[in-house]
Amino acid sequence: MITTMNNKGASLKGVLLVFLLISNMFLTKKSVTSLPICPSGSVNCQVSLGELFDRAVKLSHYIHFLSSEMFNEFDERYAQGRGFITKAVNGCHTASLTTPEDKEQAQQIHHEDLLNLVLGVLRSWNDPLLHLVTEVQRIKEAPNTILWKAAEIEEQNKRLLEGMEKIVGRVQPGDTGNEVYSRWSGLPSLQLADEDSRLFAFYNLLHCLRRDSHKIDNYLKLLKCRLIHDSNC
Amino acid sequence: MLNAGAAEPRGMDLWQLLFTLALICANDSLPTSEVPLGEPQIVKCRSPEMETFSCHWTDGDVHNHTAPRTMQLLYMKRGDEEWKECPDYVTAGENSCYFNTSYTSVWIPYCVKLANENKVFDEKCFSVDEIVLPDPPINLNWTLLNISLTGIHVDIQVRWEPPPTADVRKGWVTLEYELQYKEVNETKWKELEPVCSTTVPLYSLKMGRDYEIRIRSRQRTSEKFGEFSETLSVSFSMASEAVLCAEEIQFPWLFIVIFGTCGLVVVMFLILFSKQRLKMLILPPIPAPKIKGIDPDLLKKGKLEEVNSILASHDSYKPQLYNDDLWVEFIELDIDDPDEKTEGSDTDRLLSDAHMKSHSCLGVKDDDSGRASCCEPDMPETDFSASDTCDGTSDTDQSKKISEKEETLLCLDQKDNNKSFTNLDDPANQQLISQSEDNQSRPPFADSIESLSPVPPVRTQLSNQSSVTNIDFYAQVSDITPAGSVVLSPGQKNKTGRAQCEAHTEPAAQCQSNFTMDNAYFCEADVKKCIAVTSHEEVEPHVQDQSFNEDTYFTTESLTTTAVNPSTAAEEASSSEMPVPDYTSIHIVHSPQGLVLNATALPVPDKEFMVSCGYVSTDQLNKIMP
Repeated sequence: MITTMNNKGASLKGVLLVFLLISNMFLTKKSVTSLPICPSGSVNCQVSLGELFDRAVKLSHYIHFLSSEMFNEFDERYAQGRGFITKAVNGCHTASLTTPEDKEQAQQIHHEDLLNLVLGVLRSWNDPLLHLVTEVQRIKEAPNTILWKAAEIEEQNKRLLEGMEKIVGRVQPGDTGNEVYSRWSGLPSLQLADEDSRLFAFYNLLHCLRRDSHKIDNYLKLLKCRLIHDSNC
Repeated sequence: MLNAGAAEPRGMDLWQLLFTLALICANDSLPTSEVPLGEPQIVKCRSPEMETFSCHWTDGDVHNHTAPRTMQLLYMKRGDEEWKECPDYVTAGENSCYFNTSYTSVWIPYCVKLANENKVFDEKCFSVDEIVLPDPPINLNWTLLNISLTGIHVDIQVRWEPPPTADVRKGWVTLEYELQYKEVNETKWKELEPVCSTTVPLYSLKMGRDYEIRIRSRQRTSEKFGEFSETLSVSFSMASEAVLCAEEIQFPWLFIVIFGTCGLVVVMFLILFSKQRLKMLILPPIPAPKIKGIDPDLLKKGKLEEVNSILASHDSYKPQLYNDDLWVEFIELDIDDPDEKTEGSDTDRLLSDAHMKSHSCLGVKDDDSGRASCCEPDMPETDFSASDTCDGTSDTDQSKKISEKEETLLCLDQKDNNKSFTNLDDPANQQLISQSEDNQSRPPFADSIESLSPVPPVRTQLSNQSSVTNIDFYAQVSDITPAGSVVLSPGQKNKTGRAQCEAHTEPAAQCQSNFTMDNAYFCEADVKKCIAVTSHEEVEPHVQDQSFNEDTYFTTESLTTTAVNPSTAAEEASSSEMPVPDYTSIHIVHSPQGLVLNATALPVPDKEFMVSCGYVSTDQLNKIMP
């Protein structure tokens, strides 16, 4: 009896372990970055800055990739023939954040400021992404790929934000700085009754998303080469 | 909502899709408005490094324009209020406008339009990060990695440098590269997967060929590649003179033939020699001692009946236990007594047959034994050194035995014929007859007859037998006691025979002489049988049944005593013990016609059995009986 119980317990543990492993596999399947070596909350564990930057760059690259694809899909499906293209793209809500516009400016800006800017942009997109996920589902016959991508971007953005906050904490400890970010007020436009207007709002939002994700990706790569590889990538 | 949307007709989607496709086909890199053919149009705007950009346009059909070309490219950044003119028409070539770094802002939307004084021909809107197409890599070269052992294939490592314009070191632009290669005389390029590094290995290039390699790059986050680099030529043909192998491995006919033949041979071998035969060839089995058809388990379990039946069916069964003459012999031997007409019983028939044969020859007709041939005129009268005991196995001549048997038969026959001797030992007689191949039964019988001169009282029971004249050569042995004695059933006809025999001195002599036979069968029992025959008085008529009858119960002891003391034997015989002249263990007696003798499945081991009394196998019996 006892032996059978022991066997059962052992087998149960085995099953549980396998289940955990498999679930872990599936959960991290779509993630670009690997799981942190240090569990959150751990004090002694230190991931190197370079490793943090690597992960951040991977995430930002992934987010930009998804944004590009989502925009292209949306463009193909909804924007053709509606003249969105020819219209001047409305300014994005993050335009209030003064980010470097070319290489010289990017090289001149201090890395801490740049990091803070990146954080600001990321924070600014928290809210819009959340609403994007819900509102895009209301689009007529929205393809699953767009829906999925929106959800994925929103999730990864949160992760990237966490990572960046960690990096900032490493690079400039103690200096919380102003939490600058741009508020987004485009929700009503996403909920317009007029379909054309609504779709244009979406188009704009996705366009801005693509652009900002590219910005973030570029800044992070720049910072990585500057800080980690000493401008010699 | 979505579900409701899904229900809508798909026509609109299809139309949109078609329109999109049309637009895409028409549009190369940028979404543009439709421009009529022949009109000047902006072909492309491109930034090689995300720091500058340039736009190119075509003139279109010049003829339509009377005025000299005063084309202008106007641009406007978002945030500007008006269109500005292109700052540099020269640097990028003809019909181009070049924007240097000061005019370039990356994530800012631009619109450019091509116009002359009156008319706007084309307009495009873009942002610089969208139009990045890097320059091709430079400084392609290759190094040898290794050459295969056969000298036919080569691995090389191709290296290059990123385009000088792209600032990869600072990380402003991140590039990935795609390598393409082909043989010189081929038309189609082979592609490798894009790589981020500036070096890539190429495997399995063929010696003796010339290759071309080219590389192009793109920004990692975009889809479009830049221009191809210059073609790198890789030549191996000059090194090939030493390596004059066939470039392509010819179809290895020789190998195929050899291996095919070997395989065929193996398969044939396997087919022809089945596993069994192969095994036999390689490891010839040692035959285990076995009787065909007899399951050793049967023997162990003591299923005597089944074994007996199996044995009965084996004609070829050769009892190895007794090496003596077939018992058959003495059946065939027959008496030339004409009276010996057999009537109903098989034994009679047998006897008659034997009689026929014996007329011509007293020899034993023995099919399967190499025993003494027939026609032994000599009666082994000389050999009277038979002992009373079974133990001895004298080396009497087999032929003598045969003749003795014959004579005993004769004796029996005569007795039968003559008789109405319902004499006793039917069982004895029968058993005598039915017994072993050794006809030692005869001699004992003879002896007994001889010794017991007094004619045994007539067996009344015998008269009950239908065929008094018939001689029953068999006695039914019901069982063999653990002690070794044989339990006989009363035979049906043997009594007469016995009686007759007794009357004869000659048979008596035979009986005695038979003792000299060295057959183990010559046992006390036999002797007693002989003796007991004469003295036996009671007789049970039923023979064939395998019924135990106390009257027919013979024991060695009783027989022995009988032998010792004939008189006592007689008494004993009367005391319901019938001496058995000769017997074998009979397992089953089926009918008046037949007996199944217990050849093997006896509780007594064979040797002992031989010592005690020989026995006849069912095969022999079956031969005798129809």
